[in-house]
Amino acid sequence: MNRSDDPSTLDEDRPLLDLLKDYPMQEAHTGFYDQAVVRATHEGSRRQRNRWLMTGFGSAVAAGLVLAFVSAVFLDAPTAPEADIPGVTMALAEPHTVNLVFSSNEALDRATLTVSLPDGVELVGFPGQREISWQTSLVVGKNLLPLKLIALTPTGGIVLARLEHGDRDRTFRLRIQIS
Amino acid sequence: MDTTSGSQLFDQLVRPHFDRLYRLAYRLTGSTPEAEDLFQELLIKAFGKLDDLVDIKEPAPWLARVMYNLFVDQHRRFARQRMLVVEEGRLPGDGLAGLPGSDDPVANNERMQRLTRLDAALQQLSEEHRIVVLLHDTEGYKLTEIQELTGTPVGTIKSRLHRARARLREILTADGTFS
Repeated sequence: MNRSDDPSTLDEDRPLLDLLKDYPMQEAHTGFYDQAVVRATHEGSRRQRNRWLMTGFGSAVAAGLVLAFVSAVFLDAPTAPEADIPGVTMALAEPHTVNLVFSSNEALDRATLTVSLPDGVELVGFPGQREISWQTSLVVGKNLLPLKLIALTPTGGIVLARLEHGDRDRTFRLRIQIS
Repeated sequence: MDTTSGSQLFDQLVRPHFDRLYRLAYRLTGSTPEAEDLFQELLIKAFGKLDDLVDIKEPAPWLARVMYNLFVDQHRRFARQRMLVVEEGRLPGDGLAGLPGSDDPVANNERMQRLTRLDAALQQLSEEHRIVVLLHDTEGYKLTEIQELTGTPVGTIKSRLHRARARLREILTADGTFS
């Protein structure tokens, strides 16, 4: 490693630098690069077509129509395609803990977390409840939320986790499949 | 340029830089799913600028800058877009679990503990400090490369590096990692 540009390195830094040099990372999943290229060329082409359509509309088009078109493009854009929703597979009638990790770049006091469950999936200890809300605080970095779920029917579905703080909110989705 | 030849050209231009770009994405985001998201967004953006990319003599720094700007624009938001789902037994920091080590289980265990504590200490740094120390001390980026990537003056980067190391030493001394 070249640290010749770092004249301020101190002897006392050496153990730390050795440790940092050893700090590991996880590789991308197998086949990810090839898939990423395919998705990029497909999605990139689609966006180029949309951009061309937008340009072709021209300035003579009424503003209302343009806005409507923009909305349509945005609605069409795969901001959260079904295929990209993370998923877990559970066995029927067997409790399964799913750990959700929220990354936050700021500490949040008194944030509200609401979990909405699909029919046939329950949070252990909360029988029959489709929606559970509680207040929580988030620290800077990763925040772990373990959810102990149990599937009562083989249907599965989407779990929604909505995080609200002040006037800001974000909703995350998790697909539950039953084996 | 038709779609097929464009895709092939794109692949030829960007693939040699994939490993370095993925490592950058991982160090910026700190997790595989988020790194893959960022990497994917970069490729989509880069494919849309294929005509520019063809004329760039050194695509690697250009691609890295685009990735960093995407990270700043899209990933430094309230609770990042991606929620991670971690199966039971694979909590944050489990990336350390697959760490290759020596045949000495005692040494492996000690190393794992030190790296786990380093992981926790890094989470306590601000994002700016964490990124600088990971890029410089773990990935071996030169100060000038970080300047080019982030647009931050070298003096500021040095200052962040100094403070980040000092804070890490402080945390790791307090928890007994360093004597």
